[in-house]
Amino acid sequence: MIDLNERFIEKRSFFNRLLLIYFFFGAMFLFLLFKTYSLQVSSYSDYELAALKNKTKEVLVQPVRGVIYDRNGNILVNNVPTYDLIIQPSKIKNLDDFIINISKIIELSDSEIENINKNFKRRATYNRELTIKKDLSKEEIAKFEVRSYQFQNAFIDVRYSRENKYPYLFSHALGYVGGVSNDKVLSILKNQDLKQSETTFKYSSGFIAGKTGLENIYDSALRGSFGKKLFEVDARGRLLKELSFEKPINGKSLFTHLDLNSQKKAFEQMNNRRGAVVALELKSGSIVTYLSTPSFNVNGLSNGMSSVDFEKLINDVDKPFFDRAGQGRYSPASTIKPAIALFGIKEKIVDWNFTLKDPGFFVLPEDQRIYRGWKKGGHGTIDMKDAIIESSNTFFFSLAYKADINNLISHLSEFGFGRNVCKDCFNPDSGLLPTPEWKMNNLNFGWFKGDTVNLGVGQGYMSATPVQLAYYSAFLAKKGNLQELSFVESDSISNTAFINKLSIDNSDWDQIHSSMIGVIEDPRGTAKRLKPLKSYVVAAKSGTVELVSTETKEDYKLVRQNIGNRDHAIIVAFGPMPDPEYAVSVVIENGESGGSVAGPVAIAVLNELINK
Amino acid sequence: MKKKLDFKNFSIYFDQYLFIAITLLSVMGLFFLYSASQEDISTVAKQAIFVCFGLLLMFLVSQPDPDFYNTFSGLFLIFSLVLIFLTMIFGKEINGAKRWLDLGFFTLQSSEIIKISLPIFLSSYLYNKPLPISTRHTFITLILIGFIFALVARQPDLGTSLVVFMSGGYVLFLAGLSWRFIGSAIALFLLSLPFLWNNFLEPFQQQRVLTYLNPDADPYGTAWNITQSKIAIGSGGINGKGYQEGSQAHLDFLPETETDFIFAVIAEEFGFIGVCILLSVFFFILLRCLYLAFNARDRFCRLTIGGLSLVFASTLFINLAMVVGVVPVVGMPLPFISKGGSSLLSFYIAFGIIISMATHKKLMQR
Repeated sequence: MIDLNERFIEKRSFFNRLLLIYFFFGAMFLFLLFKTYSLQVSSYSDYELAALKNKTKEVLVQPVRGVIYDRNGNILVNNVPTYDLIIQPSKIKNLDDFIINISKIIELSDSEIENINKNFKRRATYNRELTIKKDLSKEEIAKFEVRSYQFQNAFIDVRYSRENKYPYLFSHALGYVGGVSNDKVLSILKNQDLKQSETTFKYSSGFIAGKTGLENIYDSALRGSFGKKLFEVDARGRLLKELSFEKPINGKSLFTHLDLNSQKKAFEQMNNRRGAVVALELKSGSIVTYLSTPSFNVNGLSNGMSSVDFEKLINDVDKPFFDRAGQGRYSPASTIKPAIALFGIKEKIVDWNFTLKDPGFFVLPEDQRIYRGWKKGGHGTIDMKDAIIESSNTFFFSLAYKADINNLISHLSEFGFGRNVCKDCFNPDSGLLPTPEWKMNNLNFGWFKGDTVNLGVGQGYMSATPVQLAYYSAFLAKKGNLQELSFVESDSISNTAFINKLSIDNSDWDQIHSSMIGVIEDPRGTAKRLKPLKSYVVAAKSGTVELVSTETKEDYKLVRQNIGNRDHAIIVAFGPMPDPEYAVSVVIENGESGGSVAGPVAIAVLNELINK
Repeated sequence: MKKKLDFKNFSIYFDQYLFIAITLLSVMGLFFLYSASQEDISTVAKQAIFVCFGLLLMFLVSQPDPDFYNTFSGLFLIFSLVLIFLTMIFGKEINGAKRWLDLGFFTLQSSEIIKISLPIFLSSYLYNKPLPISTRHTFITLILIGFIFALVARQPDLGTSLVVFMSGGYVLFLAGLSWRFIGSAIALFLLSLPFLWNNFLEPFQQQRVLTYLNPDADPYGTAWNITQSKIAIGSGGINGKGYQEGSQAHLDFLPETETDFIFAVIAEEFGFIGVCILLSVFFFILLRCLYLAFNARDRFCRLTIGGLSLVFASTLFINLAMVVGVVPVVGMPLPFISKGGSSLLSFYIAFGIIISMATHKKLMQR
């Protein structure tokens, strides 16, 4: 028994201590209430947003890519809807089992299985989808739909595949499309102010971008803008229901200046020979024909081809992938002569009355080295017009001999050599306009007078692409009044007054035109065989690119046994004269004769463009 | 108010305030659980059986005289310890923790029982010791508390072991532990913190503490639970999103919605108003316990009521503090609301005993 006093003390101590703890809990209670208040009332909007972000997921909806037209409204590239079988790799645990099961319903070819195996892992990592079979038949669709419950990770959806209606004609001009790297996807999304937000890409797994050609250059306009579907999702990321749908803005159509008929004609004429054809419409300075041959099936690349076929293309000795029109480098050879003639006039080295006796060769005074013409015995006494018509090398060797190299280079640059002349060509090459600095830096040799002499006939180090040659041709046709080339009419017509930096009289231009008309019309002309092929007057200059330098015709006969050593055939032409509408350049590798081999192709294309 | 109904020689011991409040909480709990379990009727039915059984148990447990509990407190403790040992040997292992004893019809979490029997035993042991409590008794008590704490902590169950430790500590403190001893114990504890961290905490427990200290370090990893819980509570706003409308709970963002995080579900669906209503019921129960403790008939009853009500309060506040992100994540149910039979039954028993202590009067107080 505890006495009363002690019991009283005990009771008071107990109450005090219990109250102490209760006060502590009371404070805790208020604090937790305050904490809840701050979460639910003060920071409500933050957390409401966070909850909203949790439960919704944006899925991007891909726009339909723009259609590409030629100048007459013909569709060149279109989108074709197909029903494709698509899987979600991240949801498939055992790929081999899956393939075995799906193959029981829908037959998969070896190349399709190869494609699955190749891409499966990466798609799974990025939570992307994978198209395993394209363009299912109605029967296949029905077969799958009946058993679709077995395949939670696969579905059939409509997809658009890119179809170039003329897969061989415009391979290099329009280019192909293809899947894009994750980095590229991110940058595209960033440009459109979209975040990836672990997007499953349900509607955009067929994400494509232009890889080459106009598909690449005008990719962003053709692509359009993504739409968005907002889904309610659970913590596992399953899409539960659609909340909203913001429609995509489809890509803009691309109206090009390309001309289907002339392109067809050029393709037919080239007949798979190695070479290129570029034709320009002079009034707008636009490209109407752009062909590099041999070509390849551009749809195969856009929509997937087997690796065997791809290897075959890559390893083809004729290099069908190579864009000869925009990237092939060829010496301009004799086609350069009109530009050299204009230089002679401008620099007052010669005039149209100046004559020269051509013995068939030119001797460089410095070292007595001999530079030969193509005609044994020479052309006799000729003036500059004759020199162009008959393509006298001697005349232009001696003209170039008197030229200042730096002035000559800047003169040739005006004609488009050594620089990019195209606004929207894909990866255009600038060719080479050699300067003394270039030679020192690249070949470790000083500039010889002989180099300048070679430049006079477009041989030596100088090279140009068929696009540059076409520009050159158009530049001559328009008497120097030419801007950058383009496939597409630009929105803002930048008709900035063109300043002709070449101080060449109109009469001199006329003389050049008449000389170039003579190349075809004059009985002595190097391309006189073209005369009956047309019903109007054409100005032209042919060229033959010597790949191996030979002293005599007998030597050349030996050399030409190897096809790869044969001369390239080259021609630039424009017409109809006197008011030219189109200019064209044709290069045929190892075609040997500019006038009679490249010439008919050029005339056929001009016929197609003019006679309609 | 204590009520004593006389049926001739037979009396019924009953406290209508506690009974109504606890029944109210239990019914609210079933209602919340239906939403928190994604409308799973079998979960709610199972819980409802526990609630009915628990209320009955509470009533039955409140009938015996406190002397009965005083006399048999040692037996209760031994019985609880046997259950703990049985769990150590035959326990069911879930997620690396061995806390449950499978009784066939019911999976018992044995540590829930000892947090009731330990404070009763200590009250019984200390009620007649002279004040202030001698060093010898203090140490005997502390060794017992430490032993049981270690047993539970080994399961491992840090949350419950802390509550067990507190349950003993409260009784010791209320019984009159000397302030000097309390001061030196706190100092010793703080000094040994690094040692405890390295030797007694499991890696996942250490991780929880680190997450608590730096929640933004890995919001999708270890901090996921607490991040989602805060979003759920915060997005409830003042009025809540409505019953069964909580997106955090229903789209699986919130973990453990039926058990540890059920408060977040309630806060999300019923908002701050709902939280205030729920907490006021809890607050009422605690105030009622304080009143009953003050009016208890003797020291044993006072200590028992004080100890058990503080166990209840601690469980409640640790759960709330964890869910709102004030303390690290520890497994701790919301009393009378969370799913889980053991915890539910143990609190019914605790309140049954509290009612017994409060309603049985003696003409002569000791």
